[in-house]
Amino acid sequence: MRIPKLQFSALLSYTPRGYSPSALHARDFMIALKNERFVEDPTSAKVVLMSKWVAETIQRDRAKLPFSSFFQPNTILVPTPKSSLMKPDTLWVPMRIASALARIGLGKVLPCLTRIKSVPKAASSLPKDRPTPAEHYKSLRVDGSLSKPDEIVLVDDIITRGSTLLGAANRLADAFPQTRIRAFAAIRTISNPGEFDKLYDPCIGTIELRESGDTLRRP
Amino acid sequence: MGMQKGIKTSDYNLEDLLGPLNEVEEKYAPKRLFVSGELPIPLPSPRTAIIGSRKASPEGLKAASYIAKTLAKKGVIVVSGLAEGIDTSAHETTIEEGGHTIAVLGTSLDKVYPQKNSLLQEIIMLHHLAISQFPTGYPTQRKNFVIRNRLMALISDASIIVEAGNTSGSLHQGWEALRLGRPLFIWHSIMKNSSVIWPKKMLDYGAMVLSDPEEVLDHLPSHGRILKVAP
Repeated sequence: MRIPKLQFSALLSYTPRGYSPSALHARDFMIALKNERFVEDPTSAKVVLMSKWVAETIQRDRAKLPFSSFFQPNTILVPTPKSSLMKPDTLWVPMRIASALARIGLGKVLPCLTRIKSVPKAASSLPKDRPTPAEHYKSLRVDGSLSKPDEIVLVDDIITRGSTLLGAANRLADAFPQTRIRAFAAIRTISNPGEFDKLYDPCIGTIELRESGDTLRRP
Repeated sequence: MGMQKGIKTSDYNLEDLLGPLNEVEEKYAPKRLFVSGELPIPLPSPRTAIIGSRKASPEGLKAASYIAKTLAKKGVIVVSGLAEGIDTSAHETTIEEGGHTIAVLGTSLDKVYPQKNSLLQEIIMLHHLAISQFPTGYPTQRKNFVIRNRLMALISDASIIVEAGNTSGSLHQGWEALRLGRPLFIWHSIMKNSSVIWPKKMLDYGAMVLSDPEEVLDHLPSHGRILKVAP
């Protein structure tokens, strides 16, 4: 793999196991994000699509976010494919988030990655059955051509271990060897409920390929 | 509003029932819906469709009943299509368990299909909820049931196919659920039936095998379609 360590950022966090009010709220938020539902900001009383809310929150808080450099007007935003194959007109949340970011000038969308073979869903698989970055890499294809972009940011809805993003980044690196590649996920999974703090939890971190072929995500 | 056989019906649009829709959901959303029953509008959550063959096997009927019972006890509203077989088992079990059920009809509210479910439809129209996109007097045609299956996918937060052959109408709902990005579950015993070819394809497009009905709960929202947030 060309990229053994990938820098990533995330805006929000949730835990699949906690039962505190904030953990349950964050889990509801994750489900709403996956379904492109709506969110109401109590301060403005505005009801907007979740993808738009994510993009507007990044824009609003840009000055204080640790990952503000990820989103520049010329950054190429590549939506991450789902783990499954996808028919036309299917809800594709990473594409919607990338489009919402592009609409407010935080990049340009290029949906150039395609899943050509389905892989097991990480969320519904036992840890031993979850696809590795290498398996993701083999199941993805880069379509179309692009002249040497300076920077690509892979956009995803949820990051768990980061295997999808690391596999996808390496597939892109084959096509764009000179390009800086980083990744963004709207929400980050925190497996241990004791480590979960709150929904709004912007962070920057790394996904590293381990010798076992698995990944280590920090934080 | 109108009165059919002494039952009050009301006229809504889909956003009245579900709240705002995204563009993918709007694609096949009917403009008007005719509704009868006691469930509040907008519809409470979560809602899960239990669907499958009209000519179901005894095992399929038993599975539908088991899934409906498990979900109804957890407060999930069971959605189905009032057809013979799996649908009937899902509705009846939910009612027996004291849960809530929604029937999405392939006919207008003033008609019953199949006729043998007229009492079940009446109970649902009085104490639960029946929904149709077809106005009173609308001719009953085969294609209505396909259109109805799309609506059922849209109304349900998740769908479970309990038993279905290669030409079952439930497959239309399965594909629509996948298009909407909603969880689609295939009951595990279907996977043992080598004569059906659709499960493998649906798994490739994102469906999941279901062995324990409680697994569905992890995928269901506990709130309406508008979530409040104050980061």
